[in-house]
Amino acid sequence: MAKYRCSVCGFVYDEADGIPEAGIAAGTKWEDLPDDWACPLCGAEKAEFEKQGESDSVPEGKRKPVIDTSVDMQELSPLELSALCTNLARGCEKQYKPEEAALFNELADYFKSVSAPAKDPNFSQLLDLIEKDLGQGFSNAKAVASDAGDRGALRALTWSEKVTRVLKSLLSRYEKQGDAMLENTGVYVCTICGFIYIGDKLPEVCPVCKVPNWKFEKVEGR
Amino acid sequence: MTKKYAVRNIRLCTKDCLCLYVCPTGATDTENSIIDMEKCIGCGDCADACPSGAISMVPFEYPPQQPKTESVVSGLNALLRSKSQQENIAAGLSGKLAKAIEKSNRIMAEDIIREAGYMLPQSQNTKNFLQSLLDQNPEGLPRETVEKLLKALYGSEEDKPKSENKTLDNLMEAFAGESQANRKYLAYARKAEKEGKLNAAKLFRATSDAETLHALMQFEAAGKIGSTAENLKDGIAGETYEYKEMYPPFVKEAEAAGNKAALRAFTFAMKAEEVHARLYKEALENLDQTEEVFYYLCPVCGNIEKFVPDKCSICGVPGEKFIKY
Repeated sequence: MAKYRCSVCGFVYDEADGIPEAGIAAGTKWEDLPDDWACPLCGAEKAEFEKQGESDSVPEGKRKPVIDTSVDMQELSPLELSALCTNLARGCEKQYKPEEAALFNELADYFKSVSAPAKDPNFSQLLDLIEKDLGQGFSNAKAVASDAGDRGALRALTWSEKVTRVLKSLLSRYEKQGDAMLENTGVYVCTICGFIYIGDKLPEVCPVCKVPNWKFEKVEGR
Repeated sequence: MTKKYAVRNIRLCTKDCLCLYVCPTGATDTENSIIDMEKCIGCGDCADACPSGAISMVPFEYPPQQPKTESVVSGLNALLRSKSQQENIAAGLSGKLAKAIEKSNRIMAEDIIREAGYMLPQSQNTKNFLQSLLDQNPEGLPRETVEKLLKALYGSEEDKPKSENKTLDNLMEAFAGESQANRKYLAYARKAEKEGKLNAAKLFRATSDAETLHALMQFEAAGKIGSTAENLKDGIAGETYEYKEMYPPFVKEAEAAGNKAALRAFTFAMKAEEVHARLYKEALENLDQTEEVFYYLCPVCGNIEKFVPDKCSICGVPGEKFIKY
């Protein structure tokens, strides 16, 4: 009997125990779990699990030190500037400066309003960008941040890489299941790291950044 | 020292109201639950007493933004670009999942750019960014919003011409130097008296007094002397900082280094500053009292009492040595 650990949130699936409350009998082999089975805590796909006891250096092996993605700081797009402003608004809120926070949010709204909408958006474009981030963007940024000893950057990268992997899992589930996946169920976003939870029993703390779940925000349909 | 003030996170406040009991100035007792910054002296008693951890001590001035290396910024910016593109794509798609993905990417983008050098709204990076918006003036930019932000976040420096700031800095630097010289010459004068070099002692005493005159003039010119109530608050803040934050590590380090003279000097000062802070608080509360109060100073450790004790509660010197004020 083997154990498999979720590389996003740390949940461990033990074949010996199964998950009886979810209808998975004790003794159920990893291979016998359905392909669309997902981590009960964070929703990551089976592919995000690692067999325990085996080398856990998979992410290291994936790392490709390619640096060809430099972006000129002066050339931020309007939507990037909008994110810069909402970030600063959050900074002001944390310092209990509500007036300044409101002003930064006004600026953020302005930049969002002048941002060109995406051309013919579709879900596969999202998956392409996610694959690029996971294949290259994060490993590059982590390599330089770790060389520079920048713990703050490493922290942000660890969180957003995990969230990106959860998004990948959700999108590939959505490809297979379509809107059925979202019927009669809540969709929540962690306002600290961006983790998305689909379901009605919120975890006590965010599986990625460990903030208490009252920081989650419920997403209503549009 | 870092001057701080207390703020209450209303979301965490469980209305135990211990802050009301411990606040020496009544700053925490307000109808709208927002701590009165005008009254707060930054002593931190409310934050220490609060059982729900709802009160934080926030500094008036934040430290500078931590430096970021160019390669890290460029790695982060590449991801920022991708996350913003994903936000944009998701914004054009329908359904709850798309909406959640849009939000999620915005949150990641915020966190990434925060670590790319935009942590603090007060930082030079943010200031440069706001200033560059005014310079570039893109179409439709709400200039007034940017100007308000520049004023709110950096107003105190912006309002004054640079030269005035420089002079203020010079005044305070001179004040520090003259104050130290005053004490130093007094120490030299005492030494000269012990050695019987009376003329040198006399000159040191006169020069020491002269430096006092200079220091006082400079401090006044810097505009640092407020009303007596304000000055008492400043005194409370200064003494509190010293006995709570400055001296405890000094004491530990002197102990570790086995420096007994330093250990004695720091311990006496730490204990005496606590008494000073308490007496300042009492004086502030009874500022309008007309009945005369006498203070007695211990000439060894700097303890102050309102009566003559049998012996000093800090250093044990007999009460008869105390000096009446």
